[in-house]
Amino acid sequence: MAPPNRSARAAVLASSVQRSKSNPYPSKARSALTRRIVLSVLVFAALALLTISFRTPSGGVVHGAQGVVSSALKPFQIAASRVARPFRDAYGYVDSLAAAKSQNEKLRKEVTQLRAQYLQSKSLAAKAEDFQKLLNYEQGATYPTGYRAVNAAVISFPSGPFSQTIAIATGRNDGIRINTPVVSGDGLVGRVTNVFARSSVVTLLTDSNSYVSARDLTTGVRGLIRHGQGETLILDQVAKELLVNKGDALVTDGTRDPRYPDLYPYGIPIGTVSSVGISDTASFLQVQVNPYANLGSLDSVAALVKR
Amino acid sequence: MSWLDGFKAAVILFVAAILQVSVFSQAHVLGAPPDILLVTLVAVALLRGSVVGAAGGFFAGILVDSASLGELGLTSLVLTLAGYWIGRYGETTGRDRFHAPFLSVAVITVLYSFGLLVVHFVLGETAPAGRVFEGVAPAAGMNLVLTAPVYALVRRLLRPSRRDELSTEVQLIG
Repeated sequence: MAPPNRSARAAVLASSVQRSKSNPYPSKARSALTRRIVLSVLVFAALALLTISFRTPSGGVVHGAQGVVSSALKPFQIAASRVARPFRDAYGYVDSLAAAKSQNEKLRKEVTQLRAQYLQSKSLAAKAEDFQKLLNYEQGATYPTGYRAVNAAVISFPSGPFSQTIAIATGRNDGIRINTPVVSGDGLVGRVTNVFARSSVVTLLTDSNSYVSARDLTTGVRGLIRHGQGETLILDQVAKELLVNKGDALVTDGTRDPRYPDLYPYGIPIGTVSSVGISDTASFLQVQVNPYANLGSLDSVAALVKR
Repeated sequence: MSWLDGFKAAVILFVAAILQVSVFSQAHVLGAPPDILLVTLVAVALLRGSVVGAAGGFFAGILVDSASLGELGLTSLVLTLAGYWIGRYGETTGRDRFHAPFLSVAVITVLYSFGLLVVHFVLGETAPAGRVFEGVAPAAGMNLVLTAPVYALVRRLLRPSRRDELSTEVQLIG
């Protein structure tokens, strides 16, 4: 306590107590020059890495080093995904409860329809097989019999609107090559666009540079699947006079000309037509497609390697 | 800053980068995924200054680019600048202010999104400006929700270990 005849200010100023020196900010103690040098070096290093990585996307020292670091980080990524999965499942469960009843009703109807279709398709498939034998019909590798599935965990997901790619935990050592098709249990996911020893980059169907030739199973109409709004796709290049119906299933069209083999084999399910529009100004039908694969929430996928 | 502090900051950013790549990038709660790495970097830069902010941003960017097998150096470049800038703000005007983490996170989320957009555009890659504009407000909102707990945790983990680093204050008496 200060004596009553002294002001508070005087008490503080006259205090003989040794105060510790004021806290210097750790980085503030450094000179401005050091700070600027550090920033310049780091920015230069980032630009150099970016340039090398951009110029040699699938080879070179930087690519190799990135593969090694990626392999080292993989166990941590898989562990984090596994720890988070119960929470994600719980959120998904609660989120889907509201729509469960109406969805159940709809799915029951769909099961009845699909059962009838399945029986019909099975008898037609048996006939087709006999016809192929009779005609000695030659064809390329077909899905799924001509391919070996390499199952892999998804170790990183698209981060924001810039990238529509995922990283998967399988690579060159397992037979994966650039342009290897990748599917999930539901349908086509995309193709491999960069390969490392034990990991690969898969470009999703929703990427702006992704194009897949597709076929309407009901009407036989062919078109080109490209990205649409959000997670939807568009069946493009379909002439206005052709017929595409809402609800039609689309599959990959496969190779039509052996000189230009398609990246995807015939028959991989892509999605269903959600809407068909015609406008006077557009040259083609406007066909929106809902992909079968849930591209925003993939835990594991299968890369299709030719047998 | 001691080596132990640097090591602690590196571990914090490593954990945040792994969580971001493996868990948070898939969590679209309000239409955009939260960026726990950016929030953590802001906390580290505010608490430890511009040099640590820049180095932390570079390190975290390398981790993200390696883990997601993206263009190496792209995220590093933007995070280095973000870490440095927030560190400078912390060293100067933002020091010890309550609103500093929130203001920093809000501003840096916007600048980070547009920074990435510019870099992608310059590289001739896909740069969907419309989607960035749409996603920036929800992303900032989600990041602001994370700011208080993440900042408190980082502050606790990076608290000064030596007595002379503890902040001092003069109490007027009488």
